[in-house]
Parts: sequence; C-alpha cells; structure tokens
Amino acid sequence: MQPMFAVLLQSAPNQASRPLSADNGSIWHHMADALYQSLDRILSLLIAVLPGILAFIVALAVFTLIGMVVSSLLRRGLTVARFDEHLARSRGGLDWAPSTSPTAVIARVTFWASVLLGLVLGVSAFDASYSTATTLPSSLLPYLTRLVGAAVLLVAGTLIARFLARSVLIGAVNEQLQYARFLSLGIKWLVLVLTAAMVLDHLQMGGNIVGLAFGILFGGIVLTLALAVGLGSRDLVSRSLESHAEQSGERGVAPAASSTSGSAESIRHF
Amino acid sequence: MATTDSVFESSSPSVRPGTELLVLLAAMTPEQREQILANLATSFPADGLVIASPDELPTDSEAPFRMIAAPASETSWTLTAADFINAYQLAEKNEARAILMLSRESGSLGPSALRDLANAVLAGSTDLAVPCYDLPPRTGLVNSAIFYPLGRALFASPVRFPLAVDLGLSLRMAERLATAAHRLTALNQAETPLWPVNEATVAGFAIGQFDVGLRTLPQPGGPDLNTILPLLTGSLFSDIEAKAAFWQRSRQLPPAEKNRPMSPASPPEAATDIAPMLQAFRLAYTNLNEIWSLVLPPNSLVGLKRLSTSDAAAFHMPEGLWARIVFDFVLAYRLRTINRGHLLGSLIPLYLAWVASHVNVTASGVDPASHIETVAAAFEADKTYLVSRWRWPDRFNP
Repeated sequence: MQPMFAVLLQSAPNQASRPLSADNGSIWHHMADALYQSLDRILSLLIAVLPGILAFIVALAVFTLIGMVVSSLLRRGLTVARFDEHLARSRGGLDWAPSTSPTAVIARVTFWASVLLGLVLGVSAFDASYSTATTLPSSLLPYLTRLVGAAVLLVAGTLIARFLARSVLIGAVNEQLQYARFLSLGIKWLVLVLTAAMVLDHLQMGGNIVGLAFGILFGGIVLTLALAVGLGSRDLVSRSLESHAEQSGERGVAPAASSTSGSAESIRHF
Repeated sequence: MATTDSVFESSSPSVRPGTELLVLLAAMTPEQREQILANLATSFPADGLVIASPDELPTDSEAPFRMIAAPASETSWTLTAADFINAYQLAEKNEARAILMLSRESGSLGPSALRDLANAVLAGSTDLAVPCYDLPPRTGLVNSAIFYPLGRALFASPVRFPLAVDLGLSLRMAERLATAAHRLTALNQAETPLWPVNEATVAGFAIGQFDVGLRTLPQPGGPDLNTILPLLTGSLFSDIEAKAAFWQRSRQLPPAEKNRPMSPASPPEAATDIAPMLQAFRLAYTNLNEIWSLVLPPNSLVGLKRLSTSDAAAFHMPEGLWARIVFDFVLAYRLRTINRGHLLGSLIPLYLAWVASHVNVTASGVDPASHIETVAAAFEADKTYLVSRWRWPDRFNP
C-alpha cells in the first residue's frame, strides 16, 4: 500500500504541468482502447462458444423432432395392433385409463428418451467446443450439471415432503389426534429443511455453515418437540392419548360398547 | 330357517346320491369344528362328503366323514384369494363336483342352511350360492354402506352380502375364482379378498341367494378399521375398475327387495353413542378438507360443511350425498387423483359420518333394512353420474 502512495505523490507534479485538452484526449483514447479490447474479448468468446450453443440447440431440436415422429408412429402402430387389449387380456382384464394406457406410456417414454438423448448429445457437442474456448471459466459446465442435480433434489424433496405430510395428516386424523395438523406441518418442514440443506450442499454453497445451520435447526426442532411433549404439553398429550385409548376400543372392528351408557348397543363394522 | 331367495331360486333342489361335496373349513376351535361336523352329519350322507380343514385332524377312526388336511390361511375372518386357490385345487384333487366354503363361527349356521347352500350347487342349477344372513341391526355396516349398494347399482346384483364368508361353489365357478385369485397371488396379494358375486355376474353364471338365518360373523382380530376399510374398499374399487366395460352397460335392475327380517331392534334405552364418530368426522372436516376438495365436487363439499355444523341429534347424511361421495371416491381411485392410500384413508371419517347418520335414522324408528334399501336406491339412481364421469372425467362438475 505504501509504495503505491509514493508513486502517486511522485507523479502528481508531472500531471499538473501537462495541458488539460491533451490529458482528456489521452484518457478517452485509453478508455476507448480498453473498451474495444473488452468488446473484442467478449466477441471472441462468443464466437468460440457459439458453435457449441448452436450444436446443442440443433441436437436438441433434431432429437425432439425424431422423438415426436417415433412416438407418433409407435402410438399409431400399437393402436392398430390393439396392443392395449392384448395386454389387458394377458394381465387379466385390467381396464387402463386413457391417459395411462400402455400405448400412451410407451409413446411418452419413447419421446422423452429421445429428448434426453438429444440433451446428452447437445451437451457433449457443447463440451467439445467449450474445450477449445479456453477463455470460458472452467467450472461453468460442471456447475450447470450440479444445478440440474440440485433442481432434481429440490423437486423430489418437495414431493416427498408433501406425501409424508399427507400420510401423517390422514393417519393422525383417523387416530383422532387433535394435533394432527401440527404433526403434519412438523414433518413437512423437517423434510423441507433437510432438502434445502441437501440442495445447498450439492451446490457447494455455504460450506460448513449449511451443515452446521442444518444440524442446529434440525436438532432444535426435534429438541423442541421433545420438550413440548415431555414438559410443556404433557397434560395435553396425556389427555389426547387417554382420549385416543378410549376411542380406539369403540372404533375397533370388534364389538364395542359406548362409553356413556352401560346399556349402549354395540356397533360392528364387519 | 333357511328359505330360498325368490329372486333367484324357487326351490331347493335335492342332492343326487353319490355326489361328492368338498367342505373347506377355516381354522377354528375344536368346539366350533365339532358343531359344524354335527350339523354336516345331519345334512349330508357321509359317503359323498370330504372335509378339508387346516386344523389338526381328529385321530378318531370312527369319524363319519373322510377328512383331509387343507393349507392354513393367514386371514381367518374373510375369504381371500389364497382360500379360493386352495378350494379349487382340493376339489380337483378329490374330484369333488361342488365346494362348500365355511368360515370361522359357521357353527351358528343350521343344518338346513348348509343343505340349501350345498344342494343348490350340487344340483347344477346354481354356480354360486350366497347366504343372506340375519344380522343384528348395527352389524355389518361397511357392507350395508358400501359393498351392497355398489354391487346393486353397478352389477344389478341383489346379493345382500357380497363379501359373504360362507359360499357354495360349482366347480366351474371355483375354477374362475381360482383364475382370478392367481392373478392376485402373482402380484403378491394372496391375502386380498375376492368378489365372487361380481365374478359370477360378469361370467354370466347363475347366482342363488339363500336366507340362512342368524350367523355370528367372524371379526378381524388384530388390525383395526383404519387398516381394514382401505384394504376392502381398495380391493372393491380395483374390481370395479377392472370390470368397467361390463357395468357401464345399462342393466335390468332387480325388483326392489322386500324387507328382510332382521334381528329385533334394540329397546329404546339401548342407544348407541354416536359422539365419538361425530367427533372423528368433525376433526377430519377441519383437517382433511383440502384433500377432500381434490376428490369431491363443490356440491358435496357444501353438504359436508352443513353436516359438520349440525347437532348430534339432528345429524343426518342424505342418502344422495353418500352415494355421490362413494362414486367420487371410485372415480378418484380410477384417475389416481391423489395417492390411493391417502384416498382410501380419507374415506374413513366420511364412512363414520354415514354410520352415525344410520344410527340416528334407525333410532328414530325407521327399520334398518328399509334404510339400507333407501341407500341402495340412491346409488342406483345416481349410477348415470358415475358412468358419465367415468367416460368424461374432465367435464364440468358443479
């Protein structure tokens, strides 16, 4: 830092002695040069990457088109061959919904497989051109792959969270637990927090902080629930469990008498 | 006690001499088995009878019947796919012409009931002999709420107990059921119940229904309603889905059945407390409304909202609303609107609401059998809704 100040102090008298117009011209000249050089670099980079992008788009478009054609041909061919009916007969007369008929499923799988193949080939073509473009940051492509993986993780985590939340909600309601919604929300957020931590970890963002924060948050939630059950909501939980124990007898399939009257008539569901 | 159903059979045919009947017993206590053997001894000649039992066979050489060992079934309270496979294999092995399947507690069936069920299939006039039990008013409610009305509306079948635990089968009926059961066992679902009445109706086989009088129905031991109801309704909905091509065609519905005699209703003071069932329904209404709204149309949701606020004494689920709810669940099962396990789980509180409503209706003096017939009639009247939405599920549905 000190040598830089020294250089600035030494150059100051020289600058004051130069004419102002010549100074301005020189600055603009230097700035224009710098801008031209930057533009040149960007254009060179674009020219280097452009064939790759073009190859990616062409590969994706061509294979999507091929997928559409093959899928359409398969759909027509299988319909003519009465594939669904043959399969239903061999599988014991199963009636398929139109949207999930074997023909529709096969056609859809073929189309998406073709799109996936196009995507893979496009990325390979892009990768090949990228290796020649030395100016491109070397971590961009792997990071894009990680981004896709993180997106898949996020979608899967969200779906799992919703599935588990619904399972817990329905199960708890049928067990007549008053805190069914609370339980369901707890499960949902636990899974979502876990998913978020996994996504960030996959993206290599945050480093140890994510793991640490997740551990604290997850542990905190579990500890809170444990304390709530053990101390704070002890009475509530015991009342709920007692009520559940009483009702489980009544709602069981075996004959059960009402709790309110000794002469109450039994109900048998089966 | 046992009378032949006038809808199907006019008289009980007699057994030809020399015929052979296979009686397949479920696992049961020695006392129960003794009772059944005694009833069989008074009903059939010993030389034409083979008894198959999974229990230890009596060592007494003076046993009146020929007794053979049968594979044990894991589920003892209803007939499953594995039972039908065993029955057919044993019948083929022993060259039996007909099969009588008797479940646990079948000692309560009288000799005449056993005769009716067996003679109908032995005479060849009937392929499937189904008992009509005389049950207490608040027994077999799942059957009254869902199985019977759905069978009546979709398959035009007046069989009151589609999931009966005692059956008479002709050999070709047993073969068809075994074939259907093999498909389930191939999917590792050997303990799933089968729907013999639906199978017989689709195959065009003759079905006979016989009044067999009082019968103590075996109850599931371990699992509770929350486990068994989804299992049974899921099995029935799958069967309905598989046979859609059959039931979508309009069929001649059988004439309205005369009210069958039920066991005497309980005295007025023996009221059933519906508060726990209402509590379950209200709790579900506050929590599961979001899930129900994916399955039910707005009209049904409004009906449920009204129900959730009504008093226990005035609690009544309209029969049309219940029919619509069940049909919408069948549709959602087919379309996989939500996960099937979730769907069937969310039906339980609605079923409990129907039970509470049924209890209230019968407590007000309405004959239980008459109310069940009213429910079945509501299902029949609304069948067009199911067929229409089955074919065009995306149409506007208010």
